[in-house]
Amino acid sequence: MSVRLWAFSESEAAANDVAAVSSVLTSSAGGSYTVVGVDEAGAGLAGEDKIVLRGTEPLAGSPEATAEALARAAMDANPDVILVGSTRNGKEIAARVAVKLGLPCVSDIFGVSLSEGKLRGKRNIFAGKLIAEVAAPLPCVATVKLGVLSALPATPAKAVVRAAGDVKSKTRVAERREKQKGTVDLRAAKLIVSAGRGVKKKDDLAMIYDLATSLGGAVGCSRPLSSDMGWLPEEHHIGLTGVSVHPDLYLAVGISGQLQHVAGIKDSKIIAAVNSDRIAPIFEASDYGVVGDLYAVLPAIMKEIKARHH
Amino acid sequence: MKVAVCVKHAIDETELKIDSSGSPQLRGAASKMSTFDKNAVEEALRLKSVHTGEVAIFTVGTPEAKKTMKEALAMGADRGVLITADPMSMETSRTAELLAAALKNGGPYDLILCSEGSSDVYSGLVPPMLGEKLGLPYVGYVRKIEATGQTARLERALEDSIEVIEARFPLVASVVSEINEPRYPTLIQIMQAGKKPLQEVTPEALVPGLSPSPSLVTGMKAQAMARKKVVFEGAPDETAKKLLDALASEGVLPR
Repeated sequence: MSVRLWAFSESEAAANDVAAVSSVLTSSAGGSYTVVGVDEAGAGLAGEDKIVLRGTEPLAGSPEATAEALARAAMDANPDVILVGSTRNGKEIAARVAVKLGLPCVSDIFGVSLSEGKLRGKRNIFAGKLIAEVAAPLPCVATVKLGVLSALPATPAKAVVRAAGDVKSKTRVAERREKQKGTVDLRAAKLIVSAGRGVKKKDDLAMIYDLATSLGGAVGCSRPLSSDMGWLPEEHHIGLTGVSVHPDLYLAVGISGQLQHVAGIKDSKIIAAVNSDRIAPIFEASDYGVVGDLYAVLPAIMKEIKARHH
Repeated sequence: MKVAVCVKHAIDETELKIDSSGSPQLRGAASKMSTFDKNAVEEALRLKSVHTGEVAIFTVGTPEAKKTMKEALAMGADRGVLITADPMSMETSRTAELLAAALKNGGPYDLILCSEGSSDVYSGLVPPMLGEKLGLPYVGYVRKIEATGQTARLERALEDSIEVIEARFPLVASVVSEINEPRYPTLIQIMQAGKKPLQEVTPEALVPGLSPSPSLVTGMKAQAMARKKVVFEGAPDETAKKLLDALASEGVLPR
């Protein structure tokens, strides 16, 4: 089987992440892949074979216009598989392209393979309680879970520019505010200390940061702290609707362990938890747990870490 | 303002049991309205309370899905349309196709709301597919909606940014859970929900001559989640030591 894949994402970093999946896929199943980006991307894209889509106006920031440009280009080139990085905009683009081209579509897949004329993969369902196996007949569109493989590095090869012509959006971006940027990428973190509702006020997050710093780790949180309280930027939110992480150590502090949160941490090597509720579900999802008030246990842990370093 | 909300009746993921062979016991499992769909219903009701109008609920589901319909009606929706088919046995695009057809029949609607994804399979594909199939403006992952006359301002949350989008009605949007806090229906509302109109329609009646579109899911199994589940209880000084010893012996602490 000689499959022709497109590795697409609206951001260069995610496109190169998808390229890594495509590279593994085509080297085992046979075939080739093209990395596809938008607008001024090109120099930042991986691969010898790359395409940049351009419209009369910038495509980035408009999933509707990007999908139209991608669909037009795909209609000419007829790739067997269009893989898209599974970002929020990426999923919209994939869904739209699938409808425009009348192709089957699956989302958030990992462990991707090709056999018997089908793209196969796994996806988490029921908040990660189950894994579904999916198989989409070629040609198809799929969004791939990001951060599973390391992204391929950019290569100096020139990108072929494909002019998509006039692609319009029915909506207008009136304003765009970048979210506050953190210093650590949780997807790449080896150690994460994560805070949940057990933390009573925003100022107390200092304890979490102190512990993370002393262990050389990053800080994460469960959904309520970022989405409801707004104590931490959304990029710290770990779980089904946030970031999925796979550190060597995940230390959940004051997190009850709802399925939606556990879905984002299950690939961690070791999970530890501190919680005052002995029957909190987090203990069922942990290797090691401490039952106790985090306001007593965290200082004790800090004290012990200091004692061991002297 | 006429608002349609697309919801899904889903197996309750928190109640889903796994048998000793690792297979999920889907038959007879507890089911409910998909978690984030309540936020979509709530937002529709909030908009109705400000702008007046009607809220209609649409779903593709088995007869069991009437439970979810009744819940949405008890929350305050005016009527429901149940497309009688099992969404778990068809392709995602077919679900979107059936919803689009039913929305066209029952419309026009000013606003069509979905949640960002269902709590069972969470594919997140149906809302943008609906926007595309209906040829309407689509805004995903919305956490705030302001309607003024013929236009809407919608605040959407992306991974690294917040966007404020302007679009004209009619439009399709998916909402995230932080948009609101869903209400709980009162006992009286629950009792009255049974009297509200609930229409059932078959896929064939909506889209004559449908070809089969089977689900792309070929199997499902329990996630291997073998954790050690060692729990330390006692005085904080002691438990802190035990925890750090355990983590050090796993080799996951910095040296």
